[in-house]
Amino acid sequence: MTLVERIAAYREVVEEWLHGLYHGMIEHPAYELIEKEAEDNDDAFMFACFADAFGIPSPVSYYTAELLPYLGDEFEQWERRMWDRESLIERKGQQYHF
Amino acid sequence: MEKFVFFGGKGGVGKTTVSCAYGLKCAREGLNTLVVSTDPAHSTSDVFDQQFDDDPAPVEGYENLHAMEIDPDEEVERHLLDIKRTMSDQVSPGIVNEIERQIELAHRTPGAYEAALFDRFIDVMRNAEEYDRVVFDTSPTGGTLRLLALPEFLQSWIDRLVHKREKSIDLFEKAAIGERSARKRAAEDPIIARLVERKEMFEFAAETLRNDAAFFLVLNPDELSIRETSRAIEDLSGHGLAVRGLVVNKVAPSPDEGEEGTGATYLRQRYETEQERIRHIEAEFDQPIVARIGQRVEEVKGDLLAEVAAELGIPVASEVRA
Repeated sequence: MTLVERIAAYREVVEEWLHGLYHGMIEHPAYELIEKEAEDNDDAFMFACFADAFGIPSPVSYYTAELLPYLGDEFEQWERRMWDRESLIERKGQQYHF
Repeated sequence: MEKFVFFGGKGGVGKTTVSCAYGLKCAREGLNTLVVSTDPAHSTSDVFDQQFDDDPAPVEGYENLHAMEIDPDEEVERHLLDIKRTMSDQVSPGIVNEIERQIELAHRTPGAYEAALFDRFIDVMRNAEEYDRVVFDTSPTGGTLRLLALPEFLQSWIDRLVHKREKSIDLFEKAAIGERSARKRAAEDPIIARLVERKEMFEFAAETLRNDAAFFLVLNPDELSIRETSRAIEDLSGHGLAVRGLVVNKVAPSPDEGEEGTGATYLRQRYETEQERIRHIEAEFDQPIVARIGQRVEEVKGDLLAEVAAELGIPVASEVRA
């Protein structure tokens, strides 16, 4: 292995590490934050669609029931989350890395 | 005259009689007419002495006249089965029960009945090309009003749902890192597609009700029905739907001059009170009285229906705006 090749290989490793570091410290938490936000948003959507699952009469549930076949997995997860969620702080707390 | 004509009013004032009579009048003048009963206590069948169902059927003995009776229960059931069928293609068997419970629940809520009725309503309006005039005999005031107010209300609700969904998809797309594909994509999202489809349906309904429909209220010359009519007019105009005219039904006849018995005295007094109320209606309401229909001793059907039809001052006008 020539010197040039060894330097190139070394640089590759360093670059990968740097990218990994950047991803772990900056990128990933940010993406996670966005994803959590998206999930929260989804929860609100589900609630607006199926409020009657929690005993709140909803005038549109007749129509939104049509969406259920496509929301299958999401619906079940959402229902579990809604029953289990203890407090807003607990949920929001997950979004910060200390 | 508009293509779609609605008759509403308090329960028991004779909406069905008036609608059928008007339908007959239109048919007599050569318009291909459909009478649609949306009242759960269907009495179109009684008026024409013929059983009708969910599909338009020609009325025996009359030319150009068709009738149908909408059954919301049947529609709810059909809707429910439809969704369940789609579900069995889409959802993994593990969670079917969970979802099924929710679907059943959505079809047992009080609003389901109205939503189903409304769906059928729109369906009829959409597929009415072959008819020149469609006459709706609606359920008593409260139900009808809620029904006609639905489109606007539902439209804004669906708008909000679509907006929320789009936002979360947008966020999911942003969260997709590098090679990893987004968990959801807007272009192929069946949820948005379904919601938009629904929204277009409501838009069609709102537009048709506003532009191609005329509303008439039927009332009797009594206090209760007058008061309910004034409330109904207020509610309808609140939703941008103007009432074209009033049909005063079941007006008592006056006895002949010389008659003085107990019956005649009663009838005379009653006649006078009613005339007083009709004058009151004329003075109080902005809408014209388009017909005063005398009370009949017998059930209105057969030849009597034609008589009532002749008393209706609602124009038929063969040019249909639609």
